[in-house]
Amino acid sequence: MSSDPKSADPATISFTVQESSWTPRKEMTVLDRDIPRIDGPDKVTGRARYSHDMRLPNMVYARLVLAKTPRATVDEIDIAAAQQIEGVVHVGIQKNAGDELAYLGDDSVVAYVAAETPEAAKDAARAVRFMLSPKAPVVTREQSLDPEAPQITRRGNVRAGRGPRGADETEALLEKSAHQVRATYTLPIQHHVCLETHGCVVDFDAAAGEATVYASTQMVSGNAGMFAGLLGLDASKVRIVCQHMGGGFGSKFGPDLQGAIACTIAKATGRPVHLMLDRPQEFQMAGNRSGTHAEVALGCDADGKLTAAAGTIDKLGGVGNGSFPGFPYIYECPSAAQTRSVHTALDSNRAMRAPGHPQASFVMESAVDELAYAVGIGPLEMRMRNAPDDVWKRHLRVVAKEIGWAEHPHKTAPGTPGADGWTEGIGFGLATWRAGGSGGGRCDITIERDGSVISSCGVQDLGTGSRTYVAAIPAEELGLTIEDVTARIGDSALPPGVGSGGSVTTGSIAPVIKQAAHNARVEFEKRLSEITEVAPGGYVWENGSIRTEDGSFDVPFRDACSLLGNKAITASAGFDESNHLTAGGRLHGAQAARVRVDTVTGRVVVVDMVAIQDTGLPLNRLAVRSQINGGMIQALSYGLLEERIVDPELGLLLTDNLESYKIAGSREIGAIRSIIDDEDDRWSVTGMAEATSIPGHSAIANAIFNACGARLRSVPFTPDRVLDALAERA
Amino acid sequence: MEKFELLQPKGLREAVLALAEGDADRSTMVLAGGQDLLTEMKEHLAEPSLVVDISGLPQLAGIGEVKDGSIRLGANATIAQIAGHPRLRADLPILTEAADSIASPQIRSVATLGGNLNQRPRCWYYRNEEAFCLKKGGSVCYAAEGMNKYNAILGGGPSYIVHPSDMAPALIALDARVQLVGPDGDREVALADYYTLPSDGPMTSETVRANGEIVVDVIVPPQPQGLRSTYLKFKERESYDWALASVALAVVMDGGVVRHARMSLGGVAPKPWTVDVQGVLAGRPVNDETVAKVADLALDGAKALAHNGYKIPLTRGLIARAFQQLS
Repeated sequence: MSSDPKSADPATISFTVQESSWTPRKEMTVLDRDIPRIDGPDKVTGRARYSHDMRLPNMVYARLVLAKTPRATVDEIDIAAAQQIEGVVHVGIQKNAGDELAYLGDDSVVAYVAAETPEAAKDAARAVRFMLSPKAPVVTREQSLDPEAPQITRRGNVRAGRGPRGADETEALLEKSAHQVRATYTLPIQHHVCLETHGCVVDFDAAAGEATVYASTQMVSGNAGMFAGLLGLDASKVRIVCQHMGGGFGSKFGPDLQGAIACTIAKATGRPVHLMLDRPQEFQMAGNRSGTHAEVALGCDADGKLTAAAGTIDKLGGVGNGSFPGFPYIYECPSAAQTRSVHTALDSNRAMRAPGHPQASFVMESAVDELAYAVGIGPLEMRMRNAPDDVWKRHLRVVAKEIGWAEHPHKTAPGTPGADGWTEGIGFGLATWRAGGSGGGRCDITIERDGSVISSCGVQDLGTGSRTYVAAIPAEELGLTIEDVTARIGDSALPPGVGSGGSVTTGSIAPVIKQAAHNARVEFEKRLSEITEVAPGGYVWENGSIRTEDGSFDVPFRDACSLLGNKAITASAGFDESNHLTAGGRLHGAQAARVRVDTVTGRVVVVDMVAIQDTGLPLNRLAVRSQINGGMIQALSYGLLEERIVDPELGLLLTDNLESYKIAGSREIGAIRSIIDDEDDRWSVTGMAEATSIPGHSAIANAIFNACGARLRSVPFTPDRVLDALAERA
Repeated sequence: MEKFELLQPKGLREAVLALAEGDADRSTMVLAGGQDLLTEMKEHLAEPSLVVDISGLPQLAGIGEVKDGSIRLGANATIAQIAGHPRLRADLPILTEAADSIASPQIRSVATLGGNLNQRPRCWYYRNEEAFCLKKGGSVCYAAEGMNKYNAILGGGPSYIVHPSDMAPALIALDARVQLVGPDGDREVALADYYTLPSDGPMTSETVRANGEIVVDVIVPPQPQGLRSTYLKFKERESYDWALASVALAVVMDGGVVRHARMSLGGVAPKPWTVDVQGVLAGRPVNDETVAKVADLALDGAKALAHNGYKIPLTRGLIARAFQQLS
């Protein structure tokens, strides 16, 4: 990778910079190790400030007023009482009399208030009076597909995605197959459940014509332009700050309606505005992972080799579009599957960790698993025969060994419960994602005369550990420790980062930091060469010292910095699509789960989960394992508990709090083992976390079948469903 | 929440008189640990004009033995105090197991016994301000025809809530009594009789506690020699949840046959569902046959709604488990 001459500062980089490459594994001293996150102490002591925590002088607290009816006409709205509440600064109407509420989500916002205190804002929000004429809710697939159903979107209620192609040929292949499964698999709508709800604090200075927005966002740099549009400013006049954020998972890319309203209130009041959703609002309007209703057929030959796939897969993402679950998924065979969106009057799905993939995984891995037992070769062998490449086969072997498959007593038929009603089983699933990064990111490295090293990039840290490698990569390059480097991130005033979506952050940013640090090092060596007469390239940086290869110069780093004269080192780098620092190609991954099923109560206990993941060069092994753990835990919670429930007649969102929308707690989590695939020979970087969130729930469902013969075709696998499936089997 | 007046009375009498001044629409309410009342107030399900904070009243505190060998549990004893009480843990594990099963460590450290016994339903229609259901003075139980996975299979109608208390079934299995102080004097009620069914009367309450009455303590009478007891609670989410179904069981075995047995179920009915099992068990051994009879008796009249049929086999299974554990 070479630096971009147009964007680099010619005063600081006045020579051709060579493309760097990652230090070989054996020579690394900082990276490819367990590095505790550098902001950990701030987070556990409460020193870390999130958008929620911002308190600015003269700030007002804003609050949205939401209707709870999916579809309705606003007959009347009256804000007079709200305006009278003591401490209220501003009340605005979002939906006037005569306006339609089209779906349960951000279209439910009828008004907004701002007040001197959060309590006054809450009182004022309640004092907004509105009368609705409700219409049929249309919140389920069946309601939407009813021929009499009202139209939910302008494009109608059903929008076709891919397929079907060659339906007749595929049906013929299916008919000829030695074994086939025809089944319906369903997944509910899941929520992101960001610990920090969506929102921002807008500090707009109309007189100066500039603004600072403290946004809980996955895309610091990109938000400046979006908020600029909302505030009527140039992007250059808007600064976005997000030092810490409490989770996004794909749902926090833009200002959303609450950001737009915060800007409106800021302009109207001339005061800083704090507007964060509360938890019920978060469940109602901050996005979700789409539900799925899949009626599919999958065939295989007598040896278990897949022959054909067909069916219809309905994506249930409210009024939204976005990624469809594919079928077949990972495993390959001719397919005539049709995907389509069935729209309901619910908020649009948003990207949520590997959009479409966890749903596709459940449908595919379940169907493959059903065939495995029909053929009689068992779930591991079935996958070995159908895995599309050798990496997946190797991964399967690893997780099978770790989970104890060889010793497992019943591989080709379900187990039977003991006298106590409990039985144990093992299941598998595969993962995939793409390796790589995307362009647009830049990094500045500054080395001060006192030895301070500052690594700056506007990228955000979603809790994944990007801040840590922003410091660790220059430390590795310069022979320093991570404590010697200051990371500056989360601020659009810094060189741009990239949006954190699709697991691209590391593949996009790490190479840029590496290259900038390398450029700084070359620049430093160039300066030293004036003293040592040893040309750049002839220096060794290690253990906090810089020495020439010939040993004529050997000084501690800080002492070397004092030789810089009155000019600090600054170097920069941007992303080059053709760089060799970013990994390319496919990501794989396999997971196995061991469960115990209580056939008396329907309880599923996940006693052990194992994942192996190819990761390219693991910059921070602790952070990578933490991401793999997180992916498995998120899938476990999806598989065992999570489900949005809307009353179909009232249209009422019943799971709008963390009592009724259940996420896994510590007692749901058994052993979780994350294995970094060190046989991945790509010595280049990539993100991979989304792959790890794809197959966990599928492996659990398959393990339940292996344990007791109950095939769980609907997520989540709650005790009632397990008992029902057991009864169905009996 | 709405504005309210907070009274921190110096004595029980002052508290009772203040509560009794409330109107019939219950605009005075008792605050102890606040784990239910404060959430109800924040969600505008309860909007008292006067809140009487009884948490400082000494008469309501403590756990201890009284002269006749009974155990007195003060209404203000926290769930954590019950869970951690060595004597209870040794002699009456049914109580410490019930206490351990409740909510989270944080909640157990402030939630009180009195609050646990008097808490309001968790039905998600009741808890949603938008649904003006029977329990709130409306005319419809939305759970009856709606999303009723967590609702009652026994004793339901016209409301199908389940009573959420875990302490209540456990205490009922020990024949505990509640002592109340009210404007018209003191009274003692068997805990089993303290709870009402929706068909019994006013829908806006689950107990016989009258306006102005305060639960002062719960008395657990001396138990028969050799009593073994357990509280088996089944939660959808083991970490932190209400019961899908629970079984409180106390038995005394004598030479291979049952001499004494008390059972009460949680999570399945609008009140702790107490089953008179003495008749089918006394003098008989605990075996598959007698346990099946107990389960038949317990689930006699059970009626599944659209989404809670699983509770019937689940409850049968838990009853069998509880007997296995104790015999």
